[in-house]
Amino acid sequence: MSALSPLPVPAAPAEVPPVLAGAGFGTALGLLRRREVQLLAAILGLFALCTALHPQFGVSSNIAFILADSAIIMIVGVGQTIVVLGRGIDLSVSPVLGIAAVSIGFPASASNLNIWLGLLIALLIGFGLGIGNGILVSLVGIPPIIATLATLTIYGGFQFIICGGYSVINIPAVYTNFGSANILPGVPWLIVIGAGVVALAYLFLTRTVTGRSVYAVGNNADAAFRAGIPVRRVLFTTYVISGVLAGLAGFIYLAQIGSATSTSGSDGNTNLMSIAAALIGGTTLLGGRGGPVGTALGAVFLSEALQAMISFRINELWDPAGVGVLILIAVVADRRGSPVRHMLRPPLRPPAKAIP
Amino acid sequence: MHLSLAGHMGPSAEQVPAERGLLSREPGTGRLSGEAGRGPAPLVGMRYQGRSLTKSFDGATVLSQVDIAFEPGEIHSVVGENGAGKSTLVKIMAGIYQPDSGELTLGEERLGGLSPRSAQHRGIYLVPQEPALMQSLSITENLFVGILRRGRLRFNVDWRSMRREASAYLARVGLDVSPEQKAEELSIAQQQLVECARALVHRCVVIFFDEPTSPLTAKEAGTLFEVMGSLRADGYTLGFISHRLDEVLAISDRVTVLRDGGKVMAALRSEVDKAVLVKGMVGRELTTQERVRPHFDATGRQEMLAVEDLTSQPAFEGVTFSVREGEIVGLAGLVGSGRTEVAETIFGIRSTDRGTVRLAGKPLQHRTPRTCIDAGLVYLPEDRGRHGIFAEVEVERNVTAGVIPHLDRAGPLIKPAAERLMAKQATDRTAVRMASLDTLIKALSGGNQQRAMLSRWLLANPRVAIFDEPTRGVDVGAKDDIYQLVAQLAEEGLACVFISSELSELTITCDRVLVMYEGRVVGELSGTEITDANLGPLIVGAQHK
Repeated sequence: MSALSPLPVPAAPAEVPPVLAGAGFGTALGLLRRREVQLLAAILGLFALCTALHPQFGVSSNIAFILADSAIIMIVGVGQTIVVLGRGIDLSVSPVLGIAAVSIGFPASASNLNIWLGLLIALLIGFGLGIGNGILVSLVGIPPIIATLATLTIYGGFQFIICGGYSVINIPAVYTNFGSANILPGVPWLIVIGAGVVALAYLFLTRTVTGRSVYAVGNNADAAFRAGIPVRRVLFTTYVISGVLAGLAGFIYLAQIGSATSTSGSDGNTNLMSIAAALIGGTTLLGGRGGPVGTALGAVFLSEALQAMISFRINELWDPAGVGVLILIAVVADRRGSPVRHMLRPPLRPPAKAIP
Repeated sequence: MHLSLAGHMGPSAEQVPAERGLLSREPGTGRLSGEAGRGPAPLVGMRYQGRSLTKSFDGATVLSQVDIAFEPGEIHSVVGENGAGKSTLVKIMAGIYQPDSGELTLGEERLGGLSPRSAQHRGIYLVPQEPALMQSLSITENLFVGILRRGRLRFNVDWRSMRREASAYLARVGLDVSPEQKAEELSIAQQQLVECARALVHRCVVIFFDEPTSPLTAKEAGTLFEVMGSLRADGYTLGFISHRLDEVLAISDRVTVLRDGGKVMAALRSEVDKAVLVKGMVGRELTTQERVRPHFDATGRQEMLAVEDLTSQPAFEGVTFSVREGEIVGLAGLVGSGRTEVAETIFGIRSTDRGTVRLAGKPLQHRTPRTCIDAGLVYLPEDRGRHGIFAEVEVERNVTAGVIPHLDRAGPLIKPAAERLMAKQATDRTAVRMASLDTLIKALSGGNQQRAMLSRWLLANPRVAIFDEPTRGVDVGAKDDIYQLVAQLAEEGLACVFISSELSELTITCDRVLVMYEGRVVGELSGTEITDANLGPLIVGAQHK
């Protein structure tokens, strides 16, 4: 069985059966169908529109603001995407972010914690809390939405305990300088980190053994197990990655905002925003479909849309409603050509009238 | 029982003697006038006709200008390969799809804008391939869903009368179960009969069966056919779709053959035989009614798989057999006899109570799919959709999914070009027909999906392969190719276990056949002993000591 000898090709009908258009890489039409391309067009289109109406919208400082503002959601969203691709969900990213921020925030403001050490601690906290989620979901076997809803509350409680009623203020300048620095005009350091995370996640998901298995597990866990994929280990890994990235986001939060409180993370709706970025980026909650590049664009688009609302003087109380509408648009757009289309069909029509 | 005869639907209904006209529908809406579910009763037969039906999906025409008429008191079969359009046709006729053009006529009435609900109101019912019952509800509730009977208080539900009638309907379809039982407690065959009874409860007179027998054993299918036969005798209009031509020939009055979305033949049963149908379906003659290869000579062949006293309660007990290099050993038996469970236990999906599995003499302990695959043992599952394919994933990644850890890598990163080459060679080898390796696997026909699954396992360089119902949901033409493929692999030295419900498959492919009945091996046949006549009694336990 070692050599692959060709088997006789059966004398089947010559014509190839009609195949539905697949992912369609390579063809122009297929490219236009890809969510990433559509999103990029939407980002550029919205940018052009806003700049035409408000010339200040297009200045490099505003671009830098939009990109820097999207970095946190981008990083958390990529972790969320990896979990969702495995048909899970991580509702605990906001307190993981918050715990990481306050845990390094207090020593940083009190005793000038080294910034690299701070980064390492943030990552380790995310790693540990991610392991907690991974154990609950993959070893104990609790459904992800329940497991992470529980840890959302538990981790949120930890965050309160760590703060003990105090807030982190007076962060050393080395942190805040990093949070506001631009590598080029209009290109903040934070987005470079975000882009790096996206690139690593992309390589992980498409080119590594575990990453590739995530798609298989999310698509059909039963079939994945029968194909020899260690389903539990793969799921465990996704939650750990999500935790680490939420920890990294906590570090960035501290650097960007310059303070942290017992409600950091949850006050910015990190959970909702990370899921929104993934959904808008074309990752489906059914698992197995989507990717980090879409999520990154989704995060930028969200940030841009919220900034546009500000420049049109819409009260920021309307922000959550705006995000919700974008989620709906993304999900409805995704329905086209998806297998759930039939399930999501509009309600049955009343019995039709006969034609006399 | 009060019966409203006021609202006949037109000439066709009026032609029927009044005493049969218990089924009455309000004019215009086609809605049943309050009588649905009032006990079994005679009915008005209805002719149901489709004219020039055309349908395309995403630009691909799947049905083109098809004319078909289903007559009352007849079983009319629609046959064709996968992708021939037969499922699309009945789904149009049952209101699930809207045709792009063409018209539907029930009796004398033209139907427009049919939905599943309005079709049901008019008396048209589709029994789906996999029963779609509400699993946690009782049979009674499933039967009467949508038309729950009100009690005397108008806001309560009259369970007692519904239960009583449910029993009558269940008896009508030959089901001996309590109407209190939950649907999930029933076998697939029983659930299908419940679907059938539901059609009767809803006073449907045109009933379509979309490949009802593919999940059933021969015996269960027989029960279904008896029910269909008695419905035919009562004047119901029955449409039947099947891959199994023997069944079609056994029960039909009329047969329509579709190929590539067009009608190629419509004839009375008496005018056709199997060869004619097959030729119509595939556009060529098929050869395999004889063995796909000469009988196997075991001398000097190494024992590759040895299973001893394997037990996994409650599914099966004390199963012992071996397979030599290049040998095809069949595992026959009814669904539920333990065949699939044996395969799953060997492959480490189910837990082992006792017994051993040896691969080329080496014991396989603590088996999981991964360790089995790495040792050279692969298992092609019975339920391709649930256990085999990753529907939303490209063919390439479906094919390489079994060997991800063994893909060529540079450091931690898989080399895409090497992977693609591997997938290409593997799919070429099993001749998967597809637009490209980037096609999503769900877009392939059943036969090509199965070839892709075979490619996946060939990549693992197996020494032993277990094929569980490898031709399930595969066209007649493609089945033949799969037999040839398996035979070819055996010629190259692969030790094969071939699980099947179709006896004819076992007789033409296997060198030896083990028969299982209720979790035990009850017989073994080899060489020329393997015939339908010898297998049949063993399978149903007739010679079980």
